[in-house]
Amino acid sequence: MKEKVLSVPTAFGAPLELYKNSWGKSGHEILSIVSGLQGDHLNGMYLSSRLSQFLDSVVEGIDPNYTLKGQVISFPVANLNAIQSGSRLWPYDGMDMDLAFPGNPEGETSEALASAIYTHTADSYWGIILQSASPHYEDAPHIQVTKLDGRIKKLARDLQIDTVRKLNETSKVSLFHQWYAHDIITVTLSAGSPRTLNVQQCEALFQGIVNFMVAEKILKDKRKIKPEENIKPRFYQPGDEVAVLAGTAGMFLKEVKVGTAVQAGQKIGEIRDIYSGKRREEITATANGFLVTLRQYPIVYEKEPIAIILTTKKSWREYLPWPTRRGAN
Amino acid sequence: MLSQCIFSVETPVGPPVEIIRHTFASNLPKPVKRVSLVAGLHGDELEGLYICHRLIETLKNLEEQNAFKGEVHIYPAVNPQALETGTRLWPFFSVDINRTFGQTNTPSLPSEISKILLEDLKSNSDLAVDIHSSNLHLMELPQIRIIKDFEKKLVPLAKFCNVDLIWVHPHAEIFESTLGYSLNQAKIPTLVIETGICLRINKNYCEQIVLGILNLLQQTGTLDGDEPLANVTPPKVVQPGYVTMIQAKNAGLFVKQTEVGQIVTEGEKIGDLIDPVEGKVLEEIRSPCSGLLFTLREHPLTSKGAPLARIATEEPA
Repeated sequence: MKEKVLSVPTAFGAPLELYKNSWGKSGHEILSIVSGLQGDHLNGMYLSSRLSQFLDSVVEGIDPNYTLKGQVISFPVANLNAIQSGSRLWPYDGMDMDLAFPGNPEGETSEALASAIYTHTADSYWGIILQSASPHYEDAPHIQVTKLDGRIKKLARDLQIDTVRKLNETSKVSLFHQWYAHDIITVTLSAGSPRTLNVQQCEALFQGIVNFMVAEKILKDKRKIKPEENIKPRFYQPGDEVAVLAGTAGMFLKEVKVGTAVQAGQKIGEIRDIYSGKRREEITATANGFLVTLRQYPIVYEKEPIAIILTTKKSWREYLPWPTRRGAN
Repeated sequence: MLSQCIFSVETPVGPPVEIIRHTFASNLPKPVKRVSLVAGLHGDELEGLYICHRLIETLKNLEEQNAFKGEVHIYPAVNPQALETGTRLWPFFSVDINRTFGQTNTPSLPSEISKILLEDLKSNSDLAVDIHSSNLHLMELPQIRIIKDFEKKLVPLAKFCNVDLIWVHPHAEIFESTLGYSLNQAKIPTLVIETGICLRINKNYCEQIVLGILNLLQQTGTLDGDEPLANVTPPKVVQPGYVTMIQAKNAGLFVKQTEVGQIVTEGEKIGDLIDPVEGKVLEEIRSPCSGLLFTLREHPLTSKGAPLARIATEEPA
């Protein structure tokens, strides 16, 4: 059900309206999903619309495989003005909307929008924020968390997305922090780059959210089929991240894909001088690991990160000269 | 004056981005005080640059008179590419550098710069002043804003600075990623000056602050001199709860009828909020109290809830 939750008058035309989607009856633990906090994070908005289409078909009985048992709320477009401007931020205030939470119902437009979103999701049990990478980068689909307690680990396992990245604390005025401080089990799902839509990456996250809803009995899968393979997520600490930096400025030409494994010394790409076309620097991986973030916009400054590699320390079992049950391939 | 580049980065097609620190050294082997002045964190705030220009000019003369008992560091343009484009944010990154101090998650060039700047200031300062203009929307009377937690240490220093107002306000979490907060947390007393409006230079306000900073340097023993370098006016110190904010109840165009710095009385008209399409006056904006009008909306385009004015009152608001 699409419901208008806030109407903000504008100086020159029709009011700006914030809509919430909701499915299921009250009385259940609520899953809230928010996307479009940045106006150019299109993957999240597409994924949210894909979920709306799916949940509508479940509720209307068109999808024969699932029944809705729980309650789901979504805000597909949070930063309405930025989206309408086709930019990350709303040019009028230049503020990052994800620094406006918990918001203020009496405040300016961004604060009022933040307040409405926060108020309508404050009773949630789980919260999922959908985003793309930072400007100029592409993210492999992965989960971001700030704590790795049992509840978060369970959510991550239920999503069946194989990469979970623990970040340092987020800003205290972000939606993530406010939800978490309100005891909502919160994760961010990140995929792709700003201003682009990657349907394949969205499908991976969509399937993850469906997996999670089935595991938490928000959805009932009538088919009762066991998944072929349970994905066990790998949890990465902040110390497991290695940034590969540009030693020169110029034009970066990538030679690998985000979301792949790289070996130390493997070529990631090269930086060329824009005037002469000559190669100025070969960019190589500085560690073995999973390439979670890769430069997408080719123009680079010196000292900018080109890639982020998530590394894993070997388990002690892997050093043993004989195979163990967990360490065996 | 000694100029030093504290950070340099090669750009894809143009000259490097450099952050420069000018140093006026002490005549004493151990400086009495080391004071740092920072401007241009936001590229559209030009008054800080002008204040630094005027200070450098004056301090060069004082240097010839051997007036330095302490050390003064001036960082006049710490966000050069934003300054060159006249935008608040570094345009290539769309990042507000003054929200990247402290702990950050993703490595980036702006966060690297903020880290280096913070470390440089920490190792060179006993006292710092971070100079800002207001945003594009509001005109501000020269003022220093102090978070309540730092009041005891900062208010006596702020009183030297010749501002009209010292506004002590409660802590808000949004400040935690700013330069001023990070330095104060690191036990380096830091005053955050807010004056005028972005993209403009209000010469009178700037001269007022230049005199204030010279006075601060003299009062802290950084500059020698028996004769006062500047006569300063004591500011109004406003505690939390003594500020009334007027917000728009409608969206429209705000047409002001007064100026900042006025003492307004209860019921006095401040402006009109008009509907530009229908030709109606949506709201007559009147002061709900008496006091010093220290903030006034300058950008006419107004959304519902937007601040129109702030008034420092004698009675709790």
